[in-house]
Amino acid sequence: MRLTIEGIGKDFPGVTALDDVSFEILPGETHALMGENGAGKSTLIKIITGLYRPDRGRLLVDGKPVDFTSPRDAIAAGISAVHQERNLIPRFTVGENIMIERPPTRNGVIDFDRVHAEARKFLDLIDPTIDTRTEVRHLSVAQMQIVEIAKALSLEAQVLLLDEPTASITGHEADALFAVVRRLRDEGKAIVFVSHKLEEVMAISDRVTVLRDGKIAAAGEPISAMNRGKIVSAMIGREERVAEMGTRSADRSQTVMEATNLATSFGHKNVSFQLHKGEILGLYGLVGAGRTELARALIGDGKVVSGELRLHGKPVTIPDVPTAIRRHRLGYISEDRKAEGLILTHPIRSNVAITVWRRIASSLGLITRATERKMVHPLVDKLEVKTPSIEQAVGKLSGGNQQKVSIAKWLAAGVEILIIDEPTVGIDIKTKTAIHELIGEITREGLSVLLISSDMPEMITLADRILVMRDFAIAGTIENSLRYEPMSREIMALIHAGSAEASPMPQTGPAPEAARV
Amino acid sequence: MTLSVPSDSRARPSFLAEQSNLIGLAAIILLFWVLFTSLAPGFVSTFNLFALSRSLAVDVVIGFSTMVVLATGGMNLAIGSIGVCAVMASGYLMQTLGLPIPVAMALALLLGAFLGWLNGFVIVRSGVNSFIITLASASLFLGGMLILSKAQTFNALPPEIAAFGRMRWGFLSPLLFVALGLGAALIVLFRFTALGREILAAGANARAAELSGVPVGRAIIIAHTLSGALAASAGLMLVFRLGAAMPSIGQDWLLPSFLAPVLGGTLLAGGYVSVVGTILGAFLVTTIRSGLLVMQIGNFWLQLFLGLILLAAVMLDRYRSVYAERRSLGRRDSGRRNSGRRA
Repeated sequence: MRLTIEGIGKDFPGVTALDDVSFEILPGETHALMGENGAGKSTLIKIITGLYRPDRGRLLVDGKPVDFTSPRDAIAAGISAVHQERNLIPRFTVGENIMIERPPTRNGVIDFDRVHAEARKFLDLIDPTIDTRTEVRHLSVAQMQIVEIAKALSLEAQVLLLDEPTASITGHEADALFAVVRRLRDEGKAIVFVSHKLEEVMAISDRVTVLRDGKIAAAGEPISAMNRGKIVSAMIGREERVAEMGTRSADRSQTVMEATNLATSFGHKNVSFQLHKGEILGLYGLVGAGRTELARALIGDGKVVSGELRLHGKPVTIPDVPTAIRRHRLGYISEDRKAEGLILTHPIRSNVAITVWRRIASSLGLITRATERKMVHPLVDKLEVKTPSIEQAVGKLSGGNQQKVSIAKWLAAGVEILIIDEPTVGIDIKTKTAIHELIGEITREGLSVLLISSDMPEMITLADRILVMRDFAIAGTIENSLRYEPMSREIMALIHAGSAEASPMPQTGPAPEAARV
Repeated sequence: MTLSVPSDSRARPSFLAEQSNLIGLAAIILLFWVLFTSLAPGFVSTFNLFALSRSLAVDVVIGFSTMVVLATGGMNLAIGSIGVCAVMASGYLMQTLGLPIPVAMALALLLGAFLGWLNGFVIVRSGVNSFIITLASASLFLGGMLILSKAQTFNALPPEIAAFGRMRWGFLSPLLFVALGLGAALIVLFRFTALGREILAAGANARAAELSGVPVGRAIIIAHTLSGALAASAGLMLVFRLGAAMPSIGQDWLLPSFLAPVLGGTLLAGGYVSVVGTILGAFLVTTIRSGLLVMQIGNFWLQLFLGLILLAAVMLDRYRSVYAERRSLGRRDSGRRNSGRRA
């Protein structure tokens, strides 16, 4: 089935979300749709799947104009989407979820044997290992995606939209998913693949379309004609700035944090490392390798059960987070800004000053907003947080500015060691660079950073040394040469070395290190 | 990013929106005053104004009692039980043990604070929702009090008690000034102290507060302790008003205790309180109760009215939080938010 997007435009009050967007999706191809946040990807997907109607232009299926007034119309035409928000019912079985739109019945009662038999048929096409009688809530996120794809297939989808399918699954699972995508493509389906991750797009797509500010910046370019730089410049409208972080002085005379054979309540074993003053120590690993948990154990939001942790040479035990912050000047920026990092409904002022309320209060425990402002203003200025006022609710800021507020609050607290967990997740490329520069700057000023990231280029751009974590243990330490190719290969080798555990899904795709950059 | 333009323009009037909520509430109160005064001139008699000021004092303080716990995003269904425990303790201490009034009052307040602390402690330690814990403790405290007191009213209290209850400053009861004084103290707490800010931070996002070094458990326990002390204060105000310590006090507090803060703009979800709003909310409740009384419309109608008003207030709260959420959702979700707006 050929889907033609012809001169599509869509307006919202005050803004043009999409303007004259045209390209074609062909059967038997994987078509990547890229663009920064706000470039119009979501709006376009909503138009293709019948959630929105375009204000201008039209959609054609096999050359015939179609007019979708609801998602049902799109599904009937053979277009299904697997969204980021899962649309499965957790307490229903896999089979029930797949067949939910049109369950087979006998005498007016659902015939469950046939539900499972039918569901099995579709599931076997992509992943025979999932049992149709398992309740969906027991599945992993990756398996849920497979079930959603099976459901789309059961609806005879010819065009399958995958919206950020790898956002919350591990590298192994992504490989398995890509294998499924390739198989479906080879069977003649059209796959539209929406992703932020360049490496992934380069590895899996046949063609790529890039949106920028609601307009087409690249329409269906064959991936062989593109490279990382070209895609990025299409997305941001200029060349990607080359990271210049390698100039930091690597004075390793002062060790600020030293872990020796740590074991934690989360199950870490034999974790040893040294963090030096002014250093960025990377902590790389797959999702589930235990990186975030290690951070939590270090800051007292979990327990170190054996081994020794030394800060500035002195052995310490950290019973809780306030102690970590106040006594040991150790802070943590969570990967989940919205749920754990910031108080979205509260103003920038409180979000930054929260770490120092106790310190700036008078002897009677009183604080005025003026005292807080005096503390917060210089930091907000220094970090160039873009906001009309520090009374602005943090939830109203962009992701990049939110992250700057997170950093500001730890600078306010005067931490000496900062653990930063996935600093640029959900942040667009332009702002990413600004955050990277900021992290570089604070370490030049003497802060030591333990950087957790799943973003390989970010890790190689920022870290001085990289600890590779696997299964709650340190698999090795690599000195960063700042050269992407050999570094990424070395890291992946450490991650996969000795990992004999079989993935639940077939692994025919290339490992991520094959990503061309 | 392009889609966030409308959200920015909507974001501006948030401060005005908060104030307009209070102004709107004041307008509604005024409307009821005009209505009741025109229908029943006795409504503004000095006698009724005095009675109204006394019951307003109690409504304000039980509103505060719930408000400080709402600040943490929790609730306290045991305020009536804590109140009556303090009431009966004060009666026992004064009438049976013959302790001086200030000592008995202080001990009763301490008991209230202790029972609130107990709630907070169990909630933090068990990690169970405050709704369930305080539902259980409400029954537990009430049962314990009934067993110990055999539900006997203490009606031979020192005469100074009733005298103070009848005392007038102008045409207002001094109890009202006590309530307003507590309100002033709460404003200081939530606006100008580290502790108050910590309580609000814990209510808005406990996890984020915790990772920022806020002792969240302590903040919750303190809020519940304060709630207990305030519930006890409300109970003691009733002792002054009635001149007796009765085991039936507190049973009808739950509805008005939620009405006052919620009408006043305190978020049920936690993280934001309005002390002035709570006072106005209580004022509306007291006005309606008093008006219906003066017009000799029965208590049944009062229940119906208060129920309706709470429902309306909760709808308003729901609308406000949806509105606040939409405003605060980052640019990232602009597409999704648009779909919400269109739906």
